[in-house]
Order: sequence, then structure tokens, then C-alpha cells
Amino acid sequence: MDPSNVNLLYNSPHQIPLGILLAQYFYLTGLSAGSFVVSVIAILGGKTEYKPLGKIGAVVAPLCLILAPMNLLVEMAQPLRAWHLMTYLPGYINPKSPITYGVMLLTAYPISAIIYAFFVYTGNMKMSKVFAIIGIPLAISVHGYTGFIIALGKGRALWNTALMPTLFIVSAMVSGIALMILAAIIRNVYFSQGKTEEEIEADRKLIYGLGKFLGAVIIFDLFLILNAVLVLLTSSKGAWHAAELLLWGRYSLDFLGVEILLGSVIPLFMVFYPKTATSLKGLTIASILVMVGIYAMRYSVVIGGQSVPLH
Amino acid sequence: MPEKSSPIAPADDEKRKTRYAMVIDLRHCVGCHSCSVACKSENEVPLGKFRSWVKVIEKGRYPDVSRQFLPSLCNNCANPICNRNCPVRATYIRPDGIVGVNQHRCIGCMYCMASCPYDVRYINPLRKIVQKCFFCDHRVDKGLEPACVETCLGKARIFGDINDPNSEIAQVMSTNPVVTLKPDLGTEPHVFYIAADYDAMDPTSGVDINFILFEEPY
Repeated sequence: MDPSNVNLLYNSPHQIPLGILLAQYFYLTGLSAGSFVVSVIAILGGKTEYKPLGKIGAVVAPLCLILAPMNLLVEMAQPLRAWHLMTYLPGYINPKSPITYGVMLLTAYPISAIIYAFFVYTGNMKMSKVFAIIGIPLAISVHGYTGFIIALGKGRALWNTALMPTLFIVSAMVSGIALMILAAIIRNVYFSQGKTEEEIEADRKLIYGLGKFLGAVIIFDLFLILNAVLVLLTSSKGAWHAAELLLWGRYSLDFLGVEILLGSVIPLFMVFYPKTATSLKGLTIASILVMVGIYAMRYSVVIGGQSVPLH
Repeated sequence: MPEKSSPIAPADDEKRKTRYAMVIDLRHCVGCHSCSVACKSENEVPLGKFRSWVKVIEKGRYPDVSRQFLPSLCNNCANPICNRNCPVRATYIRPDGIVGVNQHRCIGCMYCMASCPYDVRYINPLRKIVQKCFFCDHRVDKGLEPACVETCLGKARIFGDINDPNSEIAQVMSTNPVVTLKPDLGTEPHVFYIAADYDAMDPTSGVDINFILFEEPY
């Protein structure tokens, strides 16, 4: 029947169970995983001039991960029953649920990240490399599992794609690198007493290099988003409605305006345009825009995905 | 999932498993909403939340118009995604196929609500746990029919064991064309409809998805 000849008279209310706090949780785990990966690359990279980056990431990663699960506790309807998740007894937890993998990862990853940070700061390079190698798969899976939470939400067309875990990991890398750039710039500008001009200049070169790395990951992220949107437009009816919401509907400002234009295209230009790519001010603006853009991405995926009615 | 039995050698009655299901015959539905009222009264469903409700649409252009109903409730799927995704095993499947929620184990993470393709679950705002229709299993265990079935004045709802060849539901299902909601998702819903309207079954028909009002979960 022609849709203009159909009127909905009565239905039960449309609910959005997972709210903005879940989006914020995904955002914070993403920041943690991304900055941990950058820190490990710097530590394993071997060159001494990369070491400062390793130290910054080693602090930022556990900090973000301690903040992240607080959002979940507030979001839950029964926060006092959260311990039910941590019994790890086969009869009491469901090994098929992605939340179960997540709880195990959220226990193991911060512990390993804190031990890693301890060895990085005490200068024990051998042990910090060991914990870097242990931490990398944990960091990637602690964010990858949030992609599985979204992807296994079977009813929602925007979520239920195999691309989600990859998209989440790549966007985590984007926001993590942006946070690292910000932290490195703060360190370079405000905490460089007692350093020679050459040392400060070498530190800046490192930040510019990180900017180029950010640009490369943004390009990959944009490519994945293009894949997701093209498939949404040609998949099921629910998927088409999800694409409608994101591209010209309710969430187009969040998705096209903030996530794509402000959060990806403009920073991409800034990190490759020579004038802004070699100025700390330019890189600061680019990284703040990227972090706002990734927040908008989490919001539009979590809330936008649940905005297509199911009954 | 019902066991397949060959018509030549019928399955042994002793080995037969009970599988409860519901058939809603929309040729008999008058849209009186008494199933919603009976459910609310029987299960103490709080204000603003529904385990069973009747979706109503109008379609057509004057003078060729009609009003179509879709009584909705939990499909008690044979392969439910809510059971798979529940991290603490609060959602369980009984041997007779009814999907229930253990109210003492539910942590209120709402992941089942987010992943249910039929949006039949809700958070009880007073008790802060997830609830849904479970075919009134307390009544079924005592040999009664679910409240909505008993109250249905047009006898549009038929409840019973689809694996029992002598039950009314098995006979109705064998002799009528039945459909389920969203069969392509592989959840194997066990609420079957006779003469359900295409537009009533379509969640996005007749609404502008850019202007839907959302409700807080609790």
C-alpha cells in the first residue's frame, strides 16, 4: 500500500534502552585502547626519541579505562547487582554474551596497563616490552568487544553488520592518537623547563609525525564509514531507514556535520596542509575536532541505531 | 523448535515434547484491547508499559478504508537473541519453549531490550528489572490459559501445545495459512498470525521515523 495512505493510530511507546552513557563508555574505552596502542608502538619502536610518547600513553590509557565502566554502572538499572557479572562461574554467566567477554577484558586490561605503566616509568625496558606485548591484544579486544556488543544487537539494522568491530577499533585509534597529540602538546608547552632548544624542537618533530599518523588512520576510518553507508543504502528496509536517519534525517547534523565534516575532513586537511601540520596550534585544533567527531560517531551509532522503530 | 515427524510414522506420544505457542486469528479480532487490559491486570504491568498491546493502523483512501489490528506480545522465540545476549543467564528457555526472565538475576543492563527485534521488553520502573510476556507461565503451569487468551471475546487467540496433534492450536495451524513477524531473522517466533495485514506488520509503515517520540527506559 502507498505509505501516504497508511496512518498509525495506536502503538506501545517506542523506547531507547541504551542511552548516551553507553556511547560515552564506548568513547572512553576507545580513547584508552587507542592511546595504549600508540604508547606501545613508541616503546617497541626502539628509538629513544619516541620514549616520551610511550610515557604519556601509559598514563592516559589506564586513566580512561578507570572512568569508562563508571558510565555503565550509572546506566544499569540494578547497579548493586553488577557483581553477578564477575562470579565467572559457568552456571551464572553466559559465555555466549559479548558482555561476558567484556567483563573479563575489563578486569584483565587495566591491571596489565597499570603494570606496564609502572615498568615504563621505572625505566625497566625489558619488562615494559613484555607487558606491551601482553597489553596489545588486550587493548584491541577491550575495544573490539564493544563493537561486538553493537554488532550482535540483532534487531537493529545499523548495528548488525560484520563491519562494526573493525570500525570501532579504527575509530578508537583515531580518537586515541588525537588525545596523545593533545597530551604531547601540553607536555611540550608547559612541562619543558630545564630542556635545551634542540630537545624541545625534537619533541615537536615527534608531534608533527604523530599528526601524519593521525591523518592516515582518519583516511582508513572514512573508507570504513563509506563501506558501512553504501551497504546500508542497499540492504534491508530497516537499514535503509537507518541510512535515512543518518544522511538526511534526524541525525544528519551529528553524522554528516560533526562526525564527517568537523571530525574527519577538516582535521584531515589540517594534518596534511604544511602550514597547520607544522604548528602546535593547528594540531591542537585538529585533535580537538577529531575527538569531538568521534564522540558524535559513538552517539549517532548508539542512539541512531535504536531510533528505527521495531514494532 | 518442533520436532519434525514423518506423516508415515508418527512420533511416539511418549517422546513428544511440549511446545507452547499462540495463534492470533485476525479475522476474529475486533480491536477491543481487552487482551492489553487483562495482561496489565494479571501481571501488574506498570503504567506506560505493555507486555501485550494492540497496534492499530488505518489504511486506504475514503471510501475504501479499513482499520487493521496487530495484537503484539513476546514471540517466545525458539532461537531468541535475548537469551544469547544476556550476560548473567537471567533470560532462560523452559523445556516447553516459554522464554522467561529470572527477576532475581536480571542486572538491568538492557542489552536484551536493545537486541530484541520485536521490542517487546521493558524495564519495570518500580522494580528496575527487565520484564516481558511469558505466556502467563504461572497460569499455564496450573492448567489455565494465559489471561489474554481467556479474555479474548472474539476467540481470536488460541493457545496450546503445537506438538500435540489433538490440540486446537495444532489443528488451526495445520488448516490455515499462518505467518510470523520478521521470519527472516531466524529467531523462529512462536506467535503466529492468520490474516495479518502487511502494513500493520511493518514497523515503519505509517510513521515518520524522523519525528518519533522516544521514551526513557525507566
